[in-house]
Order: sequence, then C-alpha cells, then structure tokens
Amino acid sequence: MSIFRPQPMKKLHLLVPEDDIIPVTEALAATHTFYLASSEDMDTACVVCAVDEWRQWAVTFADLERRVVAIMESLEVDAGPPPTGTPHLIAPEVARVDVEHLEREVETPVHELEEDYRHLEQLERYVAQIEPLRELDVDLGSLRSLRYLWVMLGQMPLANVERLQSSLEHVLHELVVLRREPPLVTVVLFGLQEDADILERAAHSAYLNPLTPPPDYRGTPAEALEALQAGLARTRQHIAEHEAVVEHLRQMRIRHLRLLLWRLRASRRLVETIATYGRLHFTYLVVGWVPARQVEAVRERVMLASDQTTVDVYAPRAVEEPQIPVVQAKGPGLLTAFQGLVTNYGYPRYGELDPTPIMALTFPLVFGVMFGDVGHGLFLALLGWLLGSRRVRALRSLAGVGPIVAACGGASLLFGFLYGSVFGFEDLLPALWLHPLQNITTVLLATVGFGVGILTLGMVQNMVNAALARDWGHLLFGHSAFAGLLFYWSLVGLAVGSFVPLPVPPRLLLVVAGLSGLALTFGDLFARLLAGYRPLVEGEPFTYVMQGFFELFETVIALLSNTLSYVRMGAFAVAHGALGLVVFILAEMVSPERGVGYWLTVVLGNLFVIGFEGLIVGIQTLRLEYYEFFSKFFSGSGVHPRPLTLVPAPEER
Amino acid sequence: MRLQTVAAYAQIQATTRALYADTLSLTEWDALIRAPDFAGLLSNLSETAYAPTLELDPLLLTPRRAAYQIRWRLVEVYEKLLRRTPATLRPLLLQLWRLFEVDNLKAALRGIAVGAPWPQIRHLLYPLSRYAQLTLEDLERMVRAGTVVRAVERLRDTPYYETLAHALDRYVLEGRPFPLEIALDLAYRRELWRDVEALSGKDREQALELVGTLLDVDNLLWALRFRIYHHLSSEEIINYTLVTGYRLRDEDVRAIAAGEDVRAIAHRVFPRVAPQPEQSPLLTDRAWLIDLEQRLERHVMRLCLRAFRGEPFHAGLPLALLRIQEREVQDLTLLIEAKAGYTPRETFLPLLVLRPVLLEAAS
Repeated sequence: MSIFRPQPMKKLHLLVPEDDIIPVTEALAATHTFYLASSEDMDTACVVCAVDEWRQWAVTFADLERRVVAIMESLEVDAGPPPTGTPHLIAPEVARVDVEHLEREVETPVHELEEDYRHLEQLERYVAQIEPLRELDVDLGSLRSLRYLWVMLGQMPLANVERLQSSLEHVLHELVVLRREPPLVTVVLFGLQEDADILERAAHSAYLNPLTPPPDYRGTPAEALEALQAGLARTRQHIAEHEAVVEHLRQMRIRHLRLLLWRLRASRRLVETIATYGRLHFTYLVVGWVPARQVEAVRERVMLASDQTTVDVYAPRAVEEPQIPVVQAKGPGLLTAFQGLVTNYGYPRYGELDPTPIMALTFPLVFGVMFGDVGHGLFLALLGWLLGSRRVRALRSLAGVGPIVAACGGASLLFGFLYGSVFGFEDLLPALWLHPLQNITTVLLATVGFGVGILTLGMVQNMVNAALARDWGHLLFGHSAFAGLLFYWSLVGLAVGSFVPLPVPPRLLLVVAGLSGLALTFGDLFARLLAGYRPLVEGEPFTYVMQGFFELFETVIALLSNTLSYVRMGAFAVAHGALGLVVFILAEMVSPERGVGYWLTVVLGNLFVIGFEGLIVGIQTLRLEYYEFFSKFFSGSGVHPRPLTLVPAPEER
Repeated sequence: MRLQTVAAYAQIQATTRALYADTLSLTEWDALIRAPDFAGLLSNLSETAYAPTLELDPLLLTPRRAAYQIRWRLVEVYEKLLRRTPATLRPLLLQLWRLFEVDNLKAALRGIAVGAPWPQIRHLLYPLSRYAQLTLEDLERMVRAGTVVRAVERLRDTPYYETLAHALDRYVLEGRPFPLEIALDLAYRRELWRDVEALSGKDREQALELVGTLLDVDNLLWALRFRIYHHLSSEEIINYTLVTGYRLRDEDVRAIAAGEDVRAIAHRVFPRVAPQPEQSPLLTDRAWLIDLEQRLERHVMRLCLRAFRGEPFHAGLPLALLRIQEREVQDLTLLIEAKAGYTPRETFLPLLVLRPVLLEAAS
C-alpha cells in the first residue's frame, strides 16, 4: 500500500538550548529527512525571531564566499562537487584569516602574471607603432630634446583627432597621422618649443598617449624594433615561468579552496536557517516534519548533538495537512521514472493517493494502443534500456526517461502483436486482434470504451481519496465521485443501449441518471446536511438552483469531451498504420524493383515514424493522462519536499 | 509604415502611457513632501508604484538601501519598454539604458581609487540585470581587483575596455579617475549621438529634440564647469567636450573655452531658459551655474511632458517617459536623503525638479 500513498509524516518540536543550536542544526541537516516548518504556529506568546546576529553572520559568510570565489577564479579553480558529509560551521574570524592569507598568497604571483601579460601587450603595441617608421633613420629619443621644435609621437583615439586639431587652431602646429588602426591612430604632433605647455595639455586632454619606449628600446626605429623583439622573447619566458608558479599554487591549494568554499556555503546556509527559528530567551524553537519511520533516527542524531534538547513528536492535525511536505515512497526504478512525470504536474497532497503506480500502468498502455508495432516497440524498448543503463556518456542526462521509453516500447510491442504489425509490414505476423487500418470503426469505438474505463478508474481513485480524507459528502455527491460515476455510467448505458440491446432496461438507466443528476445538482446541500454544516444553502435559493443546474450541464459536457478525447487513441492507431503504408508507397516509387533504394527508404521511413510520430504520440499520451485522467482525482496541490541541507542533497548533484 | 511596424508602435505607445499613469502624481508628491520623517516617507511610498521595490525587512531599509531599492522601478520600466520597443528604436533605448552602466562603472572606478570596499559601493549603483553588459557581479570582481589598472583588466571582454585601457596612461600619470570618467562620458555620448542620427523621419526629429537637448545640456554644463570650477585651459575644455550638438554649436563651446561671457552664451543657446546676463548681475558665476543647472533640468522635463501631448506614433513618447522616470527616481533619492537628515522643507523643496514642472503643467 505504501507505494500508493506518500510517506506518513510526524511533526517534531525541538527545544534547543542556545549553546547547542549549531550542532543540532548540523545534525538535522545531516539526516536529509528533516523538513523545516515555520515556528510561528507554536502555542507560545514568547516566540521572537533571532534575526540580527545570525543575519550579520550570513552577510559575513556571503562576503567571504565571494572573496574565495574571486581567488578561485584567478587560479581557474572550479567549485568541484559538494562534499559527501555535512561540513561544520566555520567561525567567521577563522574564515576571514584564512581568506586573507589565501588572498595574500595568490595576489603576488597572479598579479605578476597579469603584469607580464600587460607588458607583453605593451611591447606588441610598441612594435605595431614603430613598424611604420622602420625606414626612418632618426633616433626617436632625440625628438624629445629638440631646441626649437616640440614633437610628440604617440597614439590617440581616432574620434579625438578632429577635436585636438580644432582645439589647437590658434596655435602653430602640425598633426600627422602615421597609421590608422581604429579605434586608435598613431600620430606625430609638431609645434614650437615655446608652445610646449599648451601643446602638452592639449595632447593629454585629447588622450594622445606619447610613445615612450623604455630606454632599452630607443635609438632608430630599426634598432628599437630589434630590441623590442628580444624584449618580447624575454617577457614570454617570464610568462611561462609565472604560469608554472601559478599552476603549482593551484595544485597545492585546489583542495583547500574547494573545502573552504563549501564550508562557507554550508555555514551561510546554517546561519540563515537559524535566523528563521523562533527563540525563547535562551532556547531556540525548531519545528519541522520528518517521515514517521525516520523519527527515531532523527531523535538519536539530535541527542548525540545535544542531550539538553527536548524533542516532542506530534501526529499531523487535519488543518496542517495542506502544509505537510509530501515525501513520495521509493519504489522500483520504473516507478521512480514515472514519479518525475507526476511531479511535473504537481505533488500529491498529504493523505492523497499517489497516482504514480496507476500512471506507470496506464501511460505505457495508452501509448501502446496508439503506437502498436512489434518492430517499433522493440526498438523503443532497446533504446529505453540503453538510456537507463547509462552506457553511452552522451545520453546519460536522459537516463531518467529510459524506463519510461522502455515501458512504452514494451506496450507498443504487445499491441504490435495484437495488430499484427512489424515495422509497418502488416502481413508478416497474424493479427491476434485486428488490423487498425482495416477496422477503423471498431478501433475508434474500442478506444472510446477504453476511455470510459480510464475515466471510471479516475473517479474510483477520487472516491478513495475522499474516503481517506473522511470527506463523506464529497465521496457520495462529488462530480467525479459516486454520484458522478452513477450519472456517467447511466449516460454511457443509455448511449450504448441505443445501438445494442443491454440487459438493463433503459427506463432504469433513465431513473438512475435522473436521481444521480439531482444528487449532483444539490450535492453541496446534501454534503452540508451530512456534515451538519449550516446554513444548507448560502445565498439566494433560486441562484443556488440555477448554479447547480449549470454545473450539472457543465459536468455533462466535460464527461462527454473527456470520453471523446480518447477517440484520438484510435485515430493515432489508424494513422500509425497509414504512415507505415505511406513509407512503403514511397519506397515503391523510389525503387519499384525493390533494390537498395527501396530498403533504404523503408529504414529511413521507419526511423522517421519512430522519431516523429513517436514524439507526437508521447505528447498525446501525456495530455490524456494530465488533462482527462488526473483532473478526475488528482489535485497536485501538495507541498514540494525540500529537506534541510547545508550542501546540495545527493539527488540534486 | 508597414502593418507590423504600426502594431509595434501601437504597443509601445500603449505600454508607455500605461507606465506613465504609474508615475507619481502631484498629490502623491505632496504627500511625500509632507511626510514627517524617513519612516513616514517609506509608508507613503508603499502606496505608490514603488511599493514592490520596498518590500524588504524594515530593519534593512536604511536610507541608502531605500535609495538603491527605488532604482529597481527604473529598471522595471526600462525592461518593459525594451521588451516591447520596435526594432528601429531599440538601439537608442539600449544606449540610453547604458548610461546607468557607465555611471556604475564610474562609481566603481571612483570607489577603487579611494579604496572603498565593495559593500560600501554596492548600494550606490544601479541594479542592472537583463540588458546589462556589465552586471553587478562584474563590477564586484572589478572592485575586488584592488587597483584601477587591474580592475580595467577585468573588463577585457566588454565594450568599455578599449576606451578605459587607452585612458589608463593618463590615470597613472595624474593618479585620479577624472581622465577615465571623461573618456567614458565622451565615448558614451558619441555613441548615443550616432544612434539618434541612425533614426529617420519623425522618430529622428523627436529623438533629436529630446536626446539632442539632453546632450546639449550635458555638453554646455561640462564646458561651464570645466571653466568655472576646474579652470582648465581652452584646449582642454574643447577636447573634453563634444563637437556635435542639437542647438549648441561648436562655436559656442569654443567661445566658452576662449573666455567669453558665459551668461550671454547660455542665453543665446537657451533663450527661454537661461536668463539674460543683465538679469543676474549680483550672482557669482558658481551660484549662476547652479541656478542654470536647475533651469535646464526643468526645461528637459517640460519637453518630456510636451511629448505626451503631441502626435502619438513616434519615438518621443518612450524617450520622454524614461527621462521622467529617471528624474522621478533622482528627486525621490533627494527626498529620502532630506527626510533621513531632517532637512528643512525650504532647503530641499527648491532642489526638486519634477514637481514644479508638474505644477506648471497642471495650472
């Protein structure tokens, strides 16, 4: 029974002495089964939030974490996988000293390396700037010490050239552009030595950066270029040496940095969690949910951390049920795969039936009806197995859907035998039931019947849910419960009876439909009567009757459309056969003598059918499950379970 | 105009008008001004479109944090408009958005230069997100680099690197971030001008009037400040200003640089905004400049409000809203600081820009 219902939960109230709050929180996080709840609903007036101090710690940890990340980035170290155990809190002062030490240790070599790169870039820029002057037989250094002429050779933004020239319109000057490399240009600015001050201020304000190669690289341009090439070689050598130092540091500190990072992250999470607890002077109040089977294990871990802590265990109250996190039971691999599909829609409410097992049965069945083919089914089953086995590295991310694909393949294989179809060949196997293409009406009617069965199953599940919740009014008079089911079946009986004789007289069906219709119309009133709620009718009686009537009308429409939705199963079964036929017609056109082209077309056509139609059928199956089936019984309003953890939980890694 | 373009313009006009309806009304401004203190101001603000930005633990909502939080409203308005803007307008709106990125960058560089830690700088910045080329994380990495030179290195893959890397020599020489800031400002505004010029028809006309006036105001005030506050040489003033302008001509900037009468020049460029030179003979140049700044800001706001009364299908409307929204945030920031410091009403009221213009429009 456990796979049909979420795990039963217990509520824990922990009174933790102030001094033990850190080890107790660490112990709770290490269990991975403690789901923190708000302590506001505890019956005490003294609850206060211990926010400030812990938040301050959280800010400190966040700051230190950022600094560690910066160090790791400069050493090109990633965070690595989170540790398997729960790291203990690190004191902020200790962490700060550690981070500062690491920053100091890393700063110099990384800075030197950056400087080397900058120097290299500068030298390369000099080379590029001097290259156009290679033929000039003038000592560049001598240009700076001319008696009457003022000269500045340098680089400036292209956008500033015009502005510089206009700013010097009243000063004797000449600006020569030597080389254009947008957004920069290399220029020489000439003027009179007596205007040197004006020219220099103008040049600086136009961002003309003078080209002043270090002393080693002076002389004629050709000499400077030669010296620069040697300088480039030396700088590259330095870079290689500093890279080796940084790499050595990286290797030496990689474990330490990763450990520190995760400890800081865990510490921040820890203090942020504590900040949400309630506080009674020197005691913290911690409230949370734990699966009933884990209560003792959690209590033991807490006691090991603090024997002063008191742990009270309570059964959940009915009013609390909507807030209880829903921990789904662990089933076989196939169920786990389908759990993902269910939670994609929503989590079952606490106390509600988990639709996963029933979905694991109906989903492949619906798929198989629409995609019945022995060959295609076998292919999908093998593909599903391959995905699930994680043998192909590139497909590992799809491992979760492997069992679903395999189950759908199995159902497809089964219906392939019933339809007598293998890779679209309809004459290789005898059909154990029928060929859809040759029995279109039968297939469509059968799938409507299948739909009636599925919807009935949904309504029965809804009744079980109502019984589990002791909601007798809903059980008897709900639109998707007993009255709804009677109403639905009497309508189905009347519809079927108009085509084929039934053992039940139509009048009896009419009476049942009428009575159940009345029960549905006044369902709310009857439910209130049963539960003893007053008033029986809220608002105007006439409005109530009109509303009940229209709701009944809506129910009829919904039941009709839900049932007819399943016709698509038959339509797809027929379309599947027709697509196979198209593949063979195309293959005949490509190669009438059935040569290589024929078989190549058959293979490609089948791959297309599996890929394209398989995907569409998968989407339709999901649609039928979510919108037609689930809507009858599954609220999906349960609380997503997020256990208290200080590092990502194993399943999140 | 193609049907698709008409639809895009209709959408941006509708969005702009809907967002404009959420800007602070005169009644709301008056309530905010009447607030007895910072807490009262926050309480009044929580009944306006700024409420979601201030949903924070009251203990954390210090004046500095509140000033930071209200900027999220500006971010929200920009993002909504950017999402819906027609493709032809998008580059201009994005470029306007980048002004905050440039301001952030300048603030970060200033912080690094004086050795301010990241937590101190963080809440002085604009909270940029989706459309930013430089996120807060990037800026934090810059600040943590420790020195301006290394911080600029961290910008290597951004459009700001070339400009800053070239200006670094000047920074190293002078030891203050002024040359870096000027280089950023000039590069940004040249780009903005190019985006305006790339438009055509009515869009270009409207953008020129609004963005062109904004650029004129910036350029004129730069030239005046360089001369009155910084006493720069005429060549420096010319090099540190833009050559392009809408009403402000290059000759006007040169005249300021050359030492001509600044009051006459300002009156010539903005005759209905700047007073005639003989009207303010007793004011010092500095006091006159502060007064002129106020007048120009209000003039821009009047232009923005006028855009809402004109023809609907053009770029002017979103541009005007963005400017109004930015001004609203700036005025609110001033109000936050005033209320937090218990500044008397007569001191801060004349400094508000948007409210008097709204009052004028209402009368």
